[in-house]
Amino acid sequence: MKNYLGPLGKDNPILVQTLGVCSALAVTAQLKPAVVMALSVTLVCAFSNFIVSLMRNTIPPRIRIIVQLLVVSFFVIVVDLLLQAFLYDVSKMLSVFVGLIITNCIIMGRLEAFALSHKPFPSFMDGMMNGLGYGLVLVVVAFFRELFGSGTLWNHQVIPDSWYAAGYLNNGLMILPPMALILVGVIVWAKNGTAAKR
Amino acid sequence: MKKFSNTYIFLYITALVVVIAVTLTLVSTGLRPLRDRNRQAEKCQQILRAAGHDIDRAKALDAFPNLAEPMTDDGRQYRVSCADGSIGIALRLDGKGLWGPIWGYAVVSEDGQTLKGVSFDHKSETPGLGAKITEEAFLKAFKGKKLYDRNGNFVSVRVLKPGTASGIAAENRVDAISGATLTSKGLDEMIQSSLHPSQITNHH
Repeated sequence: MKNYLGPLGKDNPILVQTLGVCSALAVTAQLKPAVVMALSVTLVCAFSNFIVSLMRNTIPPRIRIIVQLLVVSFFVIVVDLLLQAFLYDVSKMLSVFVGLIITNCIIMGRLEAFALSHKPFPSFMDGMMNGLGYGLVLVVVAFFRELFGSGTLWNHQVIPDSWYAAGYLNNGLMILPPMALILVGVIVWAKNGTAAKR
Repeated sequence: MKKFSNTYIFLYITALVVVIAVTLTLVSTGLRPLRDRNRQAEKCQQILRAAGHDIDRAKALDAFPNLAEPMTDDGRQYRVSCADGSIGIALRLDGKGLWGPIWGYAVVSEDGQTLKGVSFDHKSETPGLGAKITEEAFLKAFKGKKLYDRNGNFVSVRVLKPGTASGIAAENRVDAISGATLTSKGLDEMIQSSLHPSQITNHH
């Protein structure tokens, strides 16, 4: 079990491997889409790792990227259809970024680096943990962006009206993508600062 | 490394594509009723919102038949009961934003003189800037705007930057969103092209 925990911390896909940053910037203006995006990526990553691992001995190496892409696309489209059916508002908020999960380097990276050479169950765990490691960063960034950018959390107002009456203003920069990059940078800095001993 | 023949590769990828395509078709078909219902409910909510009703999407679908009746077969024009008790005509608007399509509904009074309300939606405008066109704070500025100027000429309702609106009375225009010039311009063009006297009055 301990072997699988790396992606949550010292081997985090966003913070250490700097993968999947594009969507991390785009969907973190609010907490709700960030959580749904995190769960979607986790599901896609875990199941495509599992399926590709099951198929690993039959996949001709010459076309393995095409096969991986097909499997990933399949799960992404299923997730997209499920969101449109059951979480319509969130699916509108995420818009193109659900489809772009297909190009998320974390998923292809794990298929290449892990699923092709490991058994199905460890592959499933590896995919899930990498998805969760990605999701963890998304949720932290979205928490600060929604709190300071809109004064809300999960669409509920948390900054009291009396603060606004006293002159408090939401930070407009927080809801723009550049601020997400700055926040990710701050988290990387904090992480490297505490992990410097290694 | 194991060697795979070309025939194997060809058959392998063909089989995989067929399996995936069939499964996706089944999933998509199975979920279509739910998806269509969501889209229909959203449209109903938009029209009712333009007519001044503050209503959840979940309830919009049930409330819609009591409040609105279609005037055309294409689903672009409805006679709708407004929240203030009057009757209005809801017209579909279609236009281009900065990054993608924008659309919405405008509810015009029965005599075609006054805008009773609007609602807009967009595919991919910038959050915090162009995406503000969906917010109540912006939409409420349209309420009660006139489609004709004092001399009786049709001007529609313009969306213009404050200070560039020379010659257009305050009752004929709405302030554009600062920082979202191109989305506002697209909105202006959309309203210009969709709110024509011909479209508003041809059912009287």
